[in-house]
Amino acid sequence: MIFKVFAKEELRSFFDTLASSNKVVGPVGIGKDRHGDTLFAFEDVDRFGDLRLDYTTTRLPAKRFFLPFRESMASFSLEKGDWKKDISYNIDRPHIFFGLHPCDINALNKLDKVLLGSAYPMPYYAVKRKNMFIIGIDCTPQPYCFCRSMGSDTALHGFDMFLTDLGDRYFVEILSDSAYNLLKNIRTSDPVEGDHVHYMKVVSEKTRKFVTRVDTTDLTKILDMEFQSDVWKQWGDRCLGCGTCANVCPTCYCYNVDESVDISLQRATKDKMLYSCTVIDFAQVAGGHNFRPERHSRLKYRYYHKHRGFVEAYEESLCVGCGRCGESCLAGITVPEVIASVRGEEV
Amino acid sequence: MDSGRQQSRTYLGVPLFRPRVGFFELSSCEGCQLQLLNNEATLLDFLSLVEVVNFREAMKERSEDYEIAFVEGSVTREDEIERLRKIRENAGILVAFGSCACFGGVNQLKNRFSLDWVKNEVYGNSPIKTDFVRPLEAVVKVDLKIFGCPVKKEEVEKIITHIALGQEVVHHKYPVCMECKANENVCLFDIGEPCLGPVTRGGCDSWCPTNRAGCWGCRGPAEDANLEQMEKIMKENGFSPDTILDRIECFGGFSVYAEKLRKDLGDSR
Amino acid sequence: MENRLAFNDVVDPKHHRKNDLGFFEYTYKAEITSIHRLTGMENLYRIQIVNPEDRKSFTFQPGQFLMLELPGIGEAPFSISSSPSRHGDVELCIRKAGNLTNFLARVPRGAKVGIRGPFGTSFPMEKMYGQNLFLIAGGLGLAPLRSAISYVQENRSHFNNVDIIYGTKEPSQLLFTYQYDLWTADDITLSITVDKPDPSWKGEVGLITGILERIFSERDDSFFKNTYAIVCGPPVMFKFVCNMLTQKDIPMEKMFVSLERRMHCGMGKCCRCNVGSTYTCLKGPVFDYWTVMNLKEAI
Repeated sequence: MIFKVFAKEELRSFFDTLASSNKVVGPVGIGKDRHGDTLFAFEDVDRFGDLRLDYTTTRLPAKRFFLPFRESMASFSLEKGDWKKDISYNIDRPHIFFGLHPCDINALNKLDKVLLGSAYPMPYYAVKRKNMFIIGIDCTPQPYCFCRSMGSDTALHGFDMFLTDLGDRYFVEILSDSAYNLLKNIRTSDPVEGDHVHYMKVVSEKTRKFVTRVDTTDLTKILDMEFQSDVWKQWGDRCLGCGTCANVCPTCYCYNVDESVDISLQRATKDKMLYSCTVIDFAQVAGGHNFRPERHSRLKYRYYHKHRGFVEAYEESLCVGCGRCGESCLAGITVPEVIASVRGEEV
Repeated sequence: MDSGRQQSRTYLGVPLFRPRVGFFELSSCEGCQLQLLNNEATLLDFLSLVEVVNFREAMKERSEDYEIAFVEGSVTREDEIERLRKIRENAGILVAFGSCACFGGVNQLKNRFSLDWVKNEVYGNSPIKTDFVRPLEAVVKVDLKIFGCPVKKEEVEKIITHIALGQEVVHHKYPVCMECKANENVCLFDIGEPCLGPVTRGGCDSWCPTNRAGCWGCRGPAEDANLEQMEKIMKENGFSPDTILDRIECFGGFSVYAEKLRKDLGDSR
Repeated sequence: MENRLAFNDVVDPKHHRKNDLGFFEYTYKAEITSIHRLTGMENLYRIQIVNPEDRKSFTFQPGQFLMLELPGIGEAPFSISSSPSRHGDVELCIRKAGNLTNFLARVPRGAKVGIRGPFGTSFPMEKMYGQNLFLIAGGLGLAPLRSAISYVQENRSHFNNVDIIYGTKEPSQLLFTYQYDLWTADDITLSITVDKPDPSWKGEVGLITGILERIFSERDDSFFKNTYAIVCGPPVMFKFVCNMLTQKDIPMEKMFVSLERRMHCGMGKCCRCNVGSTYTCLKGPVFDYWTVMNLKEAI
């Protein structure tokens, strides 16, 4: 791995270099919540001044750019009883992601496993993912963050370069050739021993700031053992079945497909919409039978998929501990509390 | 749809229906019908799928020979009951068109007060016949409901296309939150606004929340809506029971729950 | 210096075999070449891939499914009901149950549809060579089983004793009645039962488990040592049947069932078919019963 350091003010010219000929996406402030705290979102950014690299967590992940909430999978043109199917992957240029936190980078790495690394890679995701240039940036743990418990507090791969704030300088890890070349646009230098010490100090300070933990020991077995547990019913009573947890989740990829005929009857479309397993008809089949008619069984399935099924398949869970689902859940259902309750711990 | 007449066009070899349709209104603002007329871009396509034989808002000719009746508005007078029964007799399929027809709509708010008070408050000394407000299905059998105040024209077009193709019309079962998140809106609770999105049937593409106005539940409850939890959430977010009640009872879709809530509130007062 | 990042076009539409990105949404255009009414609710559709080369290369195994698409109407998974020796010229036994299938019931012969696939696991027919076979179906379960039956007929010498046991609620619901004589002509024992007989019914009455009891009483215990079973039908039925087979010491790993779930992709992406946390489309639809026993929510 190649490391460099550069003075903070260089970042602006680095941004300008990239933004002058590429589309850049990054964290920006989009208003204040009712407590006066800034709400953040990933948006297209033209000016360095709009970037908020000090952001906490965006309400929604950057999903729109790699797993759009709604996307056309194909369109049909119909004529004289015959038809033609046109497929579009809905992207035509690379995107630069300026300032993704480790949790969101790890989310992409997890999605890669299921959406790229199988006998059936998914082109809608693949084309967008292969056109992401990612600049990671270190973060400050928030009270709801439990990424450390999920092993997602640091990103080992899945980015082009990663920035760590050392006060007056950025420490940068370079993983890709294109990042290395682009960095030639600004003044960088090789880190000296003092930079290494400083970096390690920053990392250990960050680690100490985590306050929320999730015990994942033997979790796959415990989820099996407690499949019939009453705690699921208690959480199910609270669940709104609104699907928000999945929509704000950086790793939820389940979807629905809807085909419709245009009113002209000469065109038809096949559209994909990200769906949520907590929504009532998620497992409903033609004829009306619903395999998960109760809210608690759907909520349980969500945990089962993320913390058991994915672990079984890939030896890691499908949760990065970003805490977005808990922060967005109006009913206050959070992953640390649900898992603790299933483990029989007092919440 | 047995009564529909086939037209020469086919889709994947299946002959299409081109039903004779009529549009009617009971007590309403006629805004739902207006939504349809607002559709210049697709109006011709629309008219090629159906034969409109009765549409007071758009044409002079009237015919009582129709297969599908779209009825807007709620039932508030004796003569409307008669008209509705007649429409029901004529129509093979009766569609409750918009929230007034489906649930009573905004009109049903007056059911909370005494009729005499309402008459006096609204019309003063002018004599007026008006009764308790009821949705269509309190009087006749309804075959299909199209929710919304007003209805969403894209949804109506989709439904008309479904009818022409002979397909069953299936409504979204999920709540508004699904579409609101897909539109990447800031949750209104985050900025201190009440919203019924978590319990209201989706399909409106989160029309109001996208415009930063909390949902008032015009499409009625989503399937499996968790109203008990919704009430708790409103309270936790600092909204008074009256704020909740105002929203829940606004369009009549949540009437059963609203009644319970009103009773609980009355008891505690 | 060039600071514009180049677009990385990773999909080559010319490549659309499994493992290619172009496979995901690749649809074979196919023609409905015949429609045969089996009952008031089920039709048998013969569907032929239009391109002759694609037709030849579309190979599948008994128990696998495909996605059938009517443009603009919808897409859904269906078990293939015909012999695997016929490649991309398949038969699907389809019940009118929802939006897609109700529309399909009105589509005329000659209509063009789309198919993707084949997907999923299959009945391991070659593993069963030299063994006795119980082929057991309840109701629409005969649809996937019929492909295995065709395979057995075409490779009859590879199998020892073969029993087909089939039950429906009413005689009018029996599928493929015109083929029963062909099956028995191939030295296959066929037992049929209905729950609710009509006055003209002369066959057996009762549940499939009743037939199994009769057959069990006619066979030595040694018979079951070399026996495999394929059980297709609703979960409540295969649960009882498999439990009975277990009593004869047939290992659960030698019993195969087929699960039905909602699916949109068939390739382990949409998650709609998950049982517990297992993808029915990838690890199934054919599972051995031991695996099913270990799946949450399966039965």
